[in-house]
Amino acid sequence: MSSVPLLEVANVNKRFGGLKALQDVNLSLETGKLHAIIGPNGAGKTTLFNVITGTIPVTSGRIKFLGADMTNDKVHRISKRGLARTLQIKSVFANMTVRENLWIAAQSHHGVFSPFKNWKKCVRSVEMADIICEQIGLTSLADQTASNLSHGDIALLEMGLALATQPKLLLLDEPICGMGPAETEQTVIKIQEISKSTAIIIIEHDIEVVFKIADEITVMANGAVLAKGTPEFIAANSDVRNAYLGDDDDD
Amino acid sequence: MRVTDTYKYGSWSLVLFTLTAPWVLPLLVDSFWVDIYSEILIWSLLAASVNLLLGYVGLLSFGQALFFGFGMYGVAIGVVKFDLGFWSAFIFGISLATAMAAIAGSLAVRLTWHYFAIITVVFSLIFYFTALSWKPITGGDDGLPFTIPPIISFGEYKLTMTNANFQYFFIVTIVGACYWLMYRVINSPLGRAFVTVRENDARAALIGLNVYLIRLTAFIFAGFIAGVAGALFALFGRYASASYMFYHVSGEAVVWAIIGGVGTLFGPIVGTGLMIVLREELSSVWDHYLLLVGVAVILTVIFAPRGIGGAFKVLAEKIARQQFSRKESGP
Repeated sequence: MSSVPLLEVANVNKRFGGLKALQDVNLSLETGKLHAIIGPNGAGKTTLFNVITGTIPVTSGRIKFLGADMTNDKVHRISKRGLARTLQIKSVFANMTVRENLWIAAQSHHGVFSPFKNWKKCVRSVEMADIICEQIGLTSLADQTASNLSHGDIALLEMGLALATQPKLLLLDEPICGMGPAETEQTVIKIQEISKSTAIIIIEHDIEVVFKIADEITVMANGAVLAKGTPEFIAANSDVRNAYLGDDDDD
Repeated sequence: MRVTDTYKYGSWSLVLFTLTAPWVLPLLVDSFWVDIYSEILIWSLLAASVNLLLGYVGLLSFGQALFFGFGMYGVAIGVVKFDLGFWSAFIFGISLATAMAAIAGSLAVRLTWHYFAIITVVFSLIFYFTALSWKPITGGDDGLPFTIPPIISFGEYKLTMTNANFQYFFIVTIVGACYWLMYRVINSPLGRAFVTVRENDARAALIGLNVYLIRLTAFIFAGFIAGVAGALFALFGRYASASYMFYHVSGEAVVWAIIGGVGTLFGPIVGTGLMIVLREELSSVWDHYLLLVGVAVILTVIFAPRGIGGAFKVLAEKIARQQFSRKESGP
């Protein structure tokens, strides 16, 4: 069982017309690790997340989750397999309260096609919403409409939406983007807490944070994987330096 | 007074008025207003059907009259061509409308917004012209009048809709059952899923909701409600006519829903009531009364996007807050 990787991306290509957004991407992720993907803008990081979660179809290649092929599965089916993500541009259900947001995320995997039961009596999801509220630290704002939340709280709620589906793998797309130093510190602690029970892949531009929390780092550039390894290995890798800082010769 | 209390008073006064209307209305105005109120209740279901889609799942349909028409023709054709009894004709009409909604919906809900709106108009136009030209079945231009079968008959004794009070309470019961059903669905996990899809369909799919199936379910349910309205209207008017399937009728229902307040349960009754009363009072006096309707819609959309129902909600919250702060600052 432990030999089956959690996520396996094999020779994945994605073309948008003439643009090669992903080129022969290979990635294998073991359970219980915090994996980070870094790379300059336009490297294909978010596109990779999009093909993994089924938001856009791959041009070629296979994606396996827990050994099962899920290439080009429907988005909601992939979610039900135990894969959750947050979006780079934060998106929650604006005209619902924090509690309602988390409730529907928890309930979505237990079936929503019961037209006569009162939703407040779906105890399992009500309890789950409370637990997640506590976990992301939004209990005091539970009955606030999501559109009234601050930017940082919306980012937390988005992470809560993903957690409420009880994922086996969590994809975080720039979770601390736009947060102040205090919020960043809290969120990073939360991500580390979550990573104890759930495998995480994180896309993040804040290199300092990445090197602090990641077990393993993949560097992408121009749609391809440039390097993969432990933070120490990546820090010493000359290809990575070139991708970020340009060739030394240019100076 | 709490916010929920204000809702409760509002809803209960509506229920009380509805239950006493056959006796109260003749005391105040001409007794034909009882019939008009019956009509308002029936049409409000068509507006409620628009509201289910627009207010809860976020789809703007200009084709709900199609399902109204199917419910209507189902009853008339059932009685005239198949010699069905009262209940079987009623159920036949509703089933026909619901089945049509399942077929049209399975295609239409693949699209959203203007594309969805356009395809619903196209569907209702196709069947409008079919109904007009298929004279042997639908009666074409003349419509399809029928004699209403008795609801129950024990030998000599027959209970029919020709008894005015009985007809009124039959309509009230069916319309009431529909609102009760909508109330239950809106407050169920399914209803929550509707709202979630309305709020953000891309995110809804990412948390594991089957957006297509949820939209389709809402569409079929809305078609069912419109079908009940059509079947009731056929029984009320004792005939079916293609003119009620035209997209003008769908458009009117959209206006009623918007003025009454999309996303509120009883908004459609208020909107429908107001606009039908306006029509009854003004259309005989002023040919261009629709201008007024247009202005009312524009003002509603700009100043009270949640319609009268939404404005009522805001007012109720304001009252509750004032009383709360008075209590706070009091001795």
